[in-house]
Amino acid sequence: MGRVVLVTGGGRGIGRSIALALADPGDFVGINYRRDEEAASGVLAEVRGRGADGMLLQADVTDLGQVRSMVKALVSHRDRIDVLINNAGGTRDGLLAMMDSADWDAVLDVNLKGVFHCCKVVSRQMITQRSGVIVNVSSLSGITGLPGQTNYAAAKGGVNAFTRSLAQEVARYGIRVNAVAPGLVEGETTARMPAAQREHLLSIVPMGRMATAEEVAAVVRFLASEAASYIIGQVIQVTGGV
Amino acid sequence: MSDIAERIRGLLATRLKLVKTAEELSDEAPLFGPGGLGLDSIDALELVLGLEKEFGVVIEDRATAVQVLASIRTIAEFVESRGKG
Repeated sequence: MGRVVLVTGGGRGIGRSIALALADPGDFVGINYRRDEEAASGVLAEVRGRGADGMLLQADVTDLGQVRSMVKALVSHRDRIDVLINNAGGTRDGLLAMMDSADWDAVLDVNLKGVFHCCKVVSRQMITQRSGVIVNVSSLSGITGLPGQTNYAAAKGGVNAFTRSLAQEVARYGIRVNAVAPGLVEGETTARMPAAQREHLLSIVPMGRMATAEEVAAVVRFLASEAASYIIGQVIQVTGGV
Repeated sequence: MSDIAERIRGLLATRLKLVKTAEELSDEAPLFGPGGLGLDSIDALELVLGLEKEFGVVIEDRATAVQVLASIRTIAEFVESRGKG
């Protein structure tokens, strides 16, 4: 029997690509989404097209109660969860001097508290199993910082430190925890950027282009696989050389 | 209550590897902290998860854990209060 996988924010973008990259025949993929059920349904159909199965899991990761219900619903299918991908996140960019507390809180909540909630609940199940893999989707912004992203960079920097700490806590239970830190990735967020900003950011990428979501998903797949069996507490940068 | 206490002793023996010690422990003996068995937070987590599996009781936060895991008696009382065991 295949693995049970949970991808938060799995309905689009990098989350969609990760859900598909982890959908091998026999696997069971839980696709979490907050609002866009239609998009998540599309991903589930693609997952099934690859010979895996799965389910839709509506939940806001910033709400611990909803996370508990989500995980309970997923675990009830095969009495286990093997892989957790914390991908749900988002930005509310702006200069700090003008940033509302609401924009600070919202970004910290979804990007960092959401990771705390999901790991807190899922790790208990994985500790009982004495096995599991967690991959947190962080960002280059959490390592280098970026003007306009003090909130996002703070959250993702927190995710990086959280990853290193949790990895050391749960390694004894056979659970591996790592993170990926993508740079510029083709998708909705970069498409919305002003052209001048996008061009400026691209100009400092040695590879001269953005990553595709599939390239990021391939690294997540590696970290979730047995090929990474001795890797824990790492933040793998997928940035084209930045 | 004594049956619950024996099952708790069994958990201490199997999950925390305290076979001989568990047999000799009184219901009132402190498990953690000064005068305790030298157990740490990892042991506490093992015990919390063991209690969940054995009795279906859930301890979610540290404050509750500190109170409940004081001794075999306090754990047994907690299990009984939840209508389990």
